[in-house]
Amino acid sequence: MSNVALKTEKMDKIYKLGDHKVRALSDVNIEIEKGDFVSIMGPSGSGKTTLLNVLGCLDKPTQGKVLLDGVDITDVPEKNLHKTRKHKIGFVFQTFNLMPWLNAVENVELPMEGTGKTKEEMRNRAVELLDMVGLSQRKEHRPQKLSAGEQQRVAIARALANNPAIVLADEVTGNLDGKTKLEIMKLLAKLNLEQGTTIVIVTHDGQVAAMAGRILFLSDRKLLAKERQGKHYKRAQKSSQGDN
Amino acid sequence: MGVLIRAVRNISRRKVRALLVIIALGFCMAIMISIPAGITANQASTEALTRNLSSTITRTEETIDETLTQIECTLSTGFEGFGFAPQDTGDSSFAPPDNDSGLAPPEFGGGFRPGEFGGGAFGGGGTTPMNETLYSDISSITNVAAVAPSLQASEGTEQTMEMMGRSFPRLVPDYIIKGVSLTSNLIGNYPILPTNITHGRNLQAGDSEVVLLSENNTVFFNAEVGDTVEIMDQTFEIVGVYGSSGVEDVNTLYMSLSDAQTVTNNTGYITSITVFAENSDVVSEVASELSSLHPELTIVTGQQRLDQLDALQNTYETQLESAEASLGQTQAVAVQEIVIAVAATSLIVLFVMLYTVRERTKEIGTLKAIGFSNSNIMSQFMLEGLILSLIGGVIGVAIGVVAAPAISGVLLPAVNAGFGGAFARATAGAVPSMAGIVTPEIILAVLGGAALLGALGTLYPAWRASRTSPMEALRYE
Repeated sequence: MSNVALKTEKMDKIYKLGDHKVRALSDVNIEIEKGDFVSIMGPSGSGKTTLLNVLGCLDKPTQGKVLLDGVDITDVPEKNLHKTRKHKIGFVFQTFNLMPWLNAVENVELPMEGTGKTKEEMRNRAVELLDMVGLSQRKEHRPQKLSAGEQQRVAIARALANNPAIVLADEVTGNLDGKTKLEIMKLLAKLNLEQGTTIVIVTHDGQVAAMAGRILFLSDRKLLAKERQGKHYKRAQKSSQGDN
Repeated sequence: MGVLIRAVRNISRRKVRALLVIIALGFCMAIMISIPAGITANQASTEALTRNLSSTITRTEETIDETLTQIECTLSTGFEGFGFAPQDTGDSSFAPPDNDSGLAPPEFGGGFRPGEFGGGAFGGGGTTPMNETLYSDISSITNVAAVAPSLQASEGTEQTMEMMGRSFPRLVPDYIIKGVSLTSNLIGNYPILPTNITHGRNLQAGDSEVVLLSENNTVFFNAEVGDTVEIMDQTFEIVGVYGSSGVEDVNTLYMSLSDAQTVTNNTGYITSITVFAENSDVVSEVASELSSLHPELTIVTGQQRLDQLDALQNTYETQLESAEASLGQTQAVAVQEIVIAVAATSLIVLFVMLYTVRERTKEIGTLKAIGFSNSNIMSQFMLEGLILSLIGGVIGVAIGVVAAPAISGVLLPAVNAGFGGAFARATAGAVPSMAGIVTPEIILAVLGGAALLGALGTLYPAWRASRTSPMEALRYE
């Protein structure tokens, strides 16, 4: 059985704006193994968000292949992509994107709807995940009553609800202060270490990127050949264990 | 969490907006409920009047056909039959000058004034008392088969009425007493009593201190067959109740002539003499003989009553045609108003849901990113639109049930269905009220309509929401 969680081959993404064609990604080849914690760094306009959209099945590449858990998503019909997103991918957004009229546990239950789980199973799973992200005491609170860091923890719990093949995080620390940013990154490191969750974060923050196991660089719509180890990865994992 | 609970919570997120939309929808639905209710009421009203008038005229014609040999004799007075008396009670038309003239005795003018209210539907009751002994010669006229004297008087409340610059006391009757001569020959062979007995029995020869009430009388007295009633301070037993055939006044009660004379303090006096000719061929001859013998009498033959009825029928037919034409106009206006209400309902839902979809674009993007399908999103918005519309529908039903007559009264032109006289009184009970017309069927139809309009109004916004690209929706600010 393949150990590859996500792989792209010669992936291009070109947008059409009237008569003009705008190349957003060019010849991107990535291979992310199960259990990897990868950060993708790049300046604004380098194509980070486009790459994340394609990897997250929100958009399809113009050319090339995207293999998610062994399945080429370019072959999946548009109308069925939602199933891939529900079962294979967990999204964490910069602005959390929680439903304001649902409390924490209900937000975490949301992606589990329509998966065949009973109400009780959904509730148990949501509670378990909130415990895991350290919010066991805040289950019944609505997002407005939670701090930014707590909201992002709920968003991370929601992303893990259906036990996805990969968690895609878009500038997850962009709206957080320094201390909270560190806490969230330690939480992701912990999940990666303890649960074996495959995580890809997109960031322009070098400090955040350094806490991932691998750092990939995107520049001018291309993935650079150079790749680094995150120099704070081990420390983040160790620190997250220490939090236990 | 179920999609239903989520929909309700979504609606409650914008409470003021939801409330305003529900009120607006409620009023649209109330209009939709009230207009059919008003139309149905107007239709029912017109149809009931048509039915009643038609059957009344038919029954009256039949009765008159049976009584073509009948001649009504009453004493001529200047105000006879109008149902009111001049303010000046000393007027010679009403105050009897002396006993020799055959008019009422002086004591007659006491607290009770007989005959101030008009007679039955075909004028069978006279209004001015006359001494019965002065007319005993009528039975000796050639070709007269029978003579039936009667006394008619009213009991009621006196009100003042203005007419032609003069004030008249008008008696609004609670009931009309009709005393008839209860001989077996008259009862057995001539139509002097009502025939439509609904409870108990009819009056019989020799009956005394008993009454035959109309259905209206039983309501007024709150009594039934076997009970006793106080009439002019005297006790009578109710032996029967008759249903109105349109011929008798609906407030007339029957008793023996002697009882009527006693109870109204008019012993020896009558207000009308019904003369029955041997056959219809000799009616004119008998009437002519009557006129020459007693020129002071007003004489009306069955044929004359039939002619009067024809004229009356023509008047009613004209009024009915006018009412039907008016109803047609009302229906046309109603259709326009319902179309406007339907369009308004759909547009309100459409614009509110479009705005809602736009406002929640980022949320739609998030839901899609976490795995919601297009149909999940569409059903979510459809359900929200339906719930809004149904709540609006329920509010509309509540408003409609309470205010349908007022709303339809404002929105619909009035139907000209004004019929006066005894016919209107006879049919008044049959005219349904508009409030009563808001039937469960209309309520269900309006709630169904609310759901349908809600679905129609939400369809496009929901479809648009479901088609939103998650990538673009997530970027939406």
